[in-house]
Amino acid sequence: MSGPAFSYARPADVAGALAQGARPGAAFLAGGTDLIQLWKAGLAAHAELVDISRLPLAGIDLADGELAIGALARLSDVALHPRVMAEHPLIAQAIAATASGQVRNMATVGGNLLQRTRCAYFRTQGMACNKREPGSGCGAAAGETRQAALFGASAACVATHASDLAVALTALRAELTILGPDGERRIALPDLYRLPGQTPQIDTTLAPGELIAAVQVRRAAGLAARSTYLKVRDRASFEFAVVSVAAALRLEDGAVVEARLAAGGVAPLPWRLAGAEAALIGRAPDARAFAEAAGLAVEGAQPLADNGFKVELLRRAVIRALETVGATA
Amino acid sequence: MSPGPVTRWEAGLKVTGQAVFAAETPAPGLLYAVLVEAPVGCGTVLAVDAAQARRTPGFADLISYPEAQGLKPSSVTALIREPTIHFAGQPVALVVAENLAAAQAAARAVRVEAEARPAIAALGQALDQAYTPATAGRNPAESRRGDAARALAEAHLVVRRRYETAVNNHHPMEPHAVVCCWEGDRVTVHTSTQAVFGARAAIAHAFGLPAEDARVVSRFLGGGFGCKGQLWWPWMMQAMLAARRTGRPVRLELTRAQLFTLAGRRSETVQELAVGLDADGRLTAIDHQVLAQTSTHGEYADTTAGVSRWLYACPNVTTRHRLVRTNEPQPIPMRAPGTAPGTFALESALDEAAAALGIDPVDLRVRNHGDHDQEAGRPWSSKRLLECYRVGAERFGWAHRPAAGAAGDGRWRLGSGMASTFYAQHLQPSRARVRLAADASLVVQCGTQDMGNGAYTALGQMAAEALGVPMSRVTVELGDTLLPQGPISAGSQVTVSISPAVAMATAELRAILAQLAVADQASPLAGQRPEDLDFADGLVRSRTGNVAEPLADLLARQAPAGLEAEGSADLPQVQTHSFMSHGAVFVEVGVDPDLGEVRVRRVCAAFAAGRIVNPLLATSQYVGGLIGGIGMALHERTVTDLASGRILGDNFADYLIPVHADMPTFDIALVHEDDTHLPGGIKGVGMLGTAGVQAAIANAIFDAVGRRVRRLPIRIEDILGHPDPRDGFETLT
Repeated sequence: MSGPAFSYARPADVAGALAQGARPGAAFLAGGTDLIQLWKAGLAAHAELVDISRLPLAGIDLADGELAIGALARLSDVALHPRVMAEHPLIAQAIAATASGQVRNMATVGGNLLQRTRCAYFRTQGMACNKREPGSGCGAAAGETRQAALFGASAACVATHASDLAVALTALRAELTILGPDGERRIALPDLYRLPGQTPQIDTTLAPGELIAAVQVRRAAGLAARSTYLKVRDRASFEFAVVSVAAALRLEDGAVVEARLAAGGVAPLPWRLAGAEAALIGRAPDARAFAEAAGLAVEGAQPLADNGFKVELLRRAVIRALETVGATA
Repeated sequence: MSPGPVTRWEAGLKVTGQAVFAAETPAPGLLYAVLVEAPVGCGTVLAVDAAQARRTPGFADLISYPEAQGLKPSSVTALIREPTIHFAGQPVALVVAENLAAAQAAARAVRVEAEARPAIAALGQALDQAYTPATAGRNPAESRRGDAARALAEAHLVVRRRYETAVNNHHPMEPHAVVCCWEGDRVTVHTSTQAVFGARAAIAHAFGLPAEDARVVSRFLGGGFGCKGQLWWPWMMQAMLAARRTGRPVRLELTRAQLFTLAGRRSETVQELAVGLDADGRLTAIDHQVLAQTSTHGEYADTTAGVSRWLYACPNVTTRHRLVRTNEPQPIPMRAPGTAPGTFALESALDEAAAALGIDPVDLRVRNHGDHDQEAGRPWSSKRLLECYRVGAERFGWAHRPAAGAAGDGRWRLGSGMASTFYAQHLQPSRARVRLAADASLVVQCGTQDMGNGAYTALGQMAAEALGVPMSRVTVELGDTLLPQGPISAGSQVTVSISPAVAMATAELRAILAQLAVADQASPLAGQRPEDLDFADGLVRSRTGNVAEPLADLLARQAPAGLEAEGSADLPQVQTHSFMSHGAVFVEVGVDPDLGEVRVRRVCAAFAAGRIVNPLLATSQYVGGLIGGIGMALHERTVTDLASGRILGDNFADYLIPVHADMPTFDIALVHEDDTHLPGGIKGVGMLGTAGVQAAIANAIFDAVGRRVRRLPIRIEDILGHPDPRDGFETLT
């Protein structure tokens, strides 16, 4: 199937893209791995697609302790970049666990962060979905809830965010450079996303016409030696996470001095486990500390009919990830 | 005839794109069709308003109920003649337009007015309406030998369990498609079907045509697995109606999403199983009750409990199949129909029995070996299941496997499990034509189909070997009703059914050639006795005298126009034996006990299925079958949203099938089996691999982590052991 007709533009430069992207009904097209799926399924109907895939925003630079990834860098280029692999293995691992080789070759970093939920009620025409069709209800909350969120959901929407990369970048406290009609601004990655509340149709805090230009990760070098991305899923590859955990530790004198934890598959956005992080500081990286942190990680979880197992799964996944990065032997 | 590991006859055509599939059939002036789906999941169509659709650019025609009234009523045409909505996603109209995008736009513009009725969205919603159908598959729905109830009451050990299996969909790579062209009252239909002659008969009946005025062509199929049969024909016929009304060829191709609703499904099952054993592990009783779903417009039940009737020796067996009608899509046979869910139940229960009795699972099965068909009271035509156990166990290293729960590899706990598999062999009548040209090249023709399973190759090989012609000189023509009628591609029946027809045709050609040779003074074979002549390596040669000549030389002199012969084979009048293929599947899994992930690491399977015509093709069928079984065991699950009755996640991101990273290593043993009661000693292989492996995986999971999972697919939460709300099923009575 294919979707409705649209006009196509390929502006020559960033300024042109920003101008055209701000027009009503316009959407940016980069790798197209999500947008074209949505369009083919009749779930996205934009009057105009502004192709930004060839704009010069695809660089991967490491300088002065900062990793800067252009939003149009392909996932495979990032994951296979020698210095990303060496200095930011968490990012490389999260991407390697994403989709398939073919998809990673097309998909961009910015597009990955902005992919829409995989909730089957959102993705299947005719189902009640407030995110797709505001006011139609949430079919998922009363229906099949295996995929549904444990945290941050609302009565209007229980969908989860599916990006692996966003979970890793959240753990690494990444920032985004955002370009728009009014110039440039910089935000922390989690601030890109918004909780569904009563308006789940709005995924992000981006204003119309705004564009993610780059992702920056600073002061993460000390975490490289002890970081891991754990993705739990029903098959070995090419599947979204049932639950995932990004974990990184920095140890000094046998104690945790820095802890980074974020979870995927459990919330409408990459879910930072701040309480668990804080509980680890100053502790020896041992089983008791990990169990306590994991207990805090699942505090406040609100499971539905089919996803209760994910509470225990998340707890165990946090422990497993911490064991992986905390091993001192 | 010597079996040969010949590579696929049509492989080159496929990898170079020369193989033309139905949807690719070129047709000048082609119109494109799109189906309009019902707005509700149960009800009646009151009106189909095409006014706005007719105004969309490129619109050509719309076919709905009024336009289909000229078709003869039948179970095939009911869905397009009667405005009753049976399930969500059911088409109510077909739109044709100048291109696909125009047809889609026009379809979106069609307004359907329908009266909705309350739907039964799941089997569990209508348990009180369960009924026993007349048949389950080709077998009686109920069976009884001995007194299972009494034997269970007296048994040393009773394992009484409920097993559940999910809805699966077939999902061949190639979706169903048709390109149809009318010339006056004659029609040519290029369509993806497992039964060209069946499709022709349905078309002739529906359109009131003499059969010879309809030609159905299906040269290549990108898989079928049971779903390319009559459930597709209503929509194919809607496209044909549009082609006739517009006077132009029409193409319709199902979408991937429509393959979840319009092409059939493997029904979910709820199986209540009780097995009784004596202290030595011998089965004394089996009671196997199966509940499955069927639609409100059709009826189909797999012979799921057949496994309890046939697989083992047991004096007291009661089985029953019941169905519940729901407003969901119609089930039909899917690869290893009945045996896949049925073996999951019985072979899981036997593993529990083996553990309870302290008997090795292989030994338990050997003790219960059935040396004849107790259900029919007939001998097996051949049965080397015991040899499958021996060979499979040896190659797997069963005797040396670690103790339960003892083996690990990093985060994985390792476990081993095994199960038996079987499939009943049936035959169909078939004809075949063999044509030998003057240059000794061979054309073999049969109106059967190749689903990608190797029918082209097997058929060509049989003829080539019979006449001593190399495969490189063989052309095989299949999938066309202009050819001699062949079998439908179902139930692992094609190779064995074709075999006698090819044998008869090639025997006639050999006899003619032998007569020509011995009577030809120009031949070195002149004066030999015809019955002493052999055909091999492109030569006709004498077994007794040391003389031979190239077949092409003989043909050039004696039959410059070539020779042709037809063979046919009917079904035997009296069945003196029961025919069954068997196998033993051994599996090693890794289970992460904390995170619930299960990965199959190793599959070793031994199969006994008569004479293997081509070991490469047979092994490929077994591996493909096993992969399908792994999917059923761990991944595949079609979900109906109870509120809307729609399929949830009708795509390959949500409907999981095994990917490359899930592939275990496969070790396939072909256990030779002499069978003098089947044509050519051949049995089918296609279904065999897809059963048994599910139970073997479940049994291996138990061996690894001590957890019994009795519901498919086995997923993370089943290993973690979180209580599942679906456990609240009512007990069968």
